[in-house]
Amino acid sequence: MSAQNSGPWRWSEALLERLLPETTRETIAGDLREEFVEGIEPKRGRLRAQWWYVRQVAGFIPWFAKEGRGMSKVLMTLSTVVLACAPWLAVMETILRHPGYAGRIAEAVGIAAICAATILAKMLHAGVVVERWLWLGAGALIVLGATAFLQNARAVHFEGFVMVISLLLVAQWVLMLATMGRKGGGSRPSVI
Amino acid sequence: MAELLGTFEQSVLLAILGLGSEAYGRAVLNRVQEKLARDVAAGAVYATLERLEARGLVRSRLEAGTTVRGGRARRYYLLDAEGERALGDTRRALTAMWNNVQLPAQEG
Repeated sequence: MSAQNSGPWRWSEALLERLLPETTRETIAGDLREEFVEGIEPKRGRLRAQWWYVRQVAGFIPWFAKEGRGMSKVLMTLSTVVLACAPWLAVMETILRHPGYAGRIAEAVGIAAICAATILAKMLHAGVVVERWLWLGAGALIVLGATAFLQNARAVHFEGFVMVISLLLVAQWVLMLATMGRKGGGSRPSVI
Repeated sequence: MAELLGTFEQSVLLAILGLGSEAYGRAVLNRVQEKLARDVAAGAVYATLERLEARGLVRSRLEAGTTVRGGRARRYYLLDAEGERALGDTRRALTAMWNNVQLPAQEG
């Protein structure tokens, strides 16, 4: 197979390039393509080589997460959106007064508080200890998000707004775990 | 004394040292895998290379890419004097730590 029609799946290569910072995107993607074409594919065959490439791409995710490349900004944006949505949810529950509305109002207030704390912690560059306390908030978010998602999926009257909010909460949880409470990110000094 | 290096950092720096002028990402990755005798995630090697460069232990230069790379440039790494010093310090520290140490399981 020639080098022209050989190579990793386009989507996996594109994903790798999305994950990498601009400064290293070209060289790393080039190295992996070279290794794929000249090293892995001839030895392991096309399908296993593709699997190897996908694993390599997945291997960059922890690096991406540790360095917090742009993810803190995404987390801030997401927290702001959810913070804006939470009071609206509380107001709607107050107006509609469906069974169990008081509990859902309390949840909306809790979500707003976690979002506000997250935004403040990021804005004020709070220390690792403060950010680690926010992991408790992250835990609450995933429980609320997953519960809302499942309940809404099973409900007779599907509510798109609730579905969107629940997915936002899950995304926020992932970003909080990835970017918060890490001492110095990926640049922390290593010791023996 | 420079800050001591972790095991993986030592592997990467030693690979760069061993490869000389041929130390680019893929070659370093393969050398590290060969020396450690296990599969290593490419991400781990590149993250380490970036960190070592940020700490001034290695420096890099870009060279034009080849067809097989889809025309993408290659980044070659070179050990800096600081990197050499850090490797030496780490080796001395490890040797001193292990001097006259016998693991219980290996004692007669």
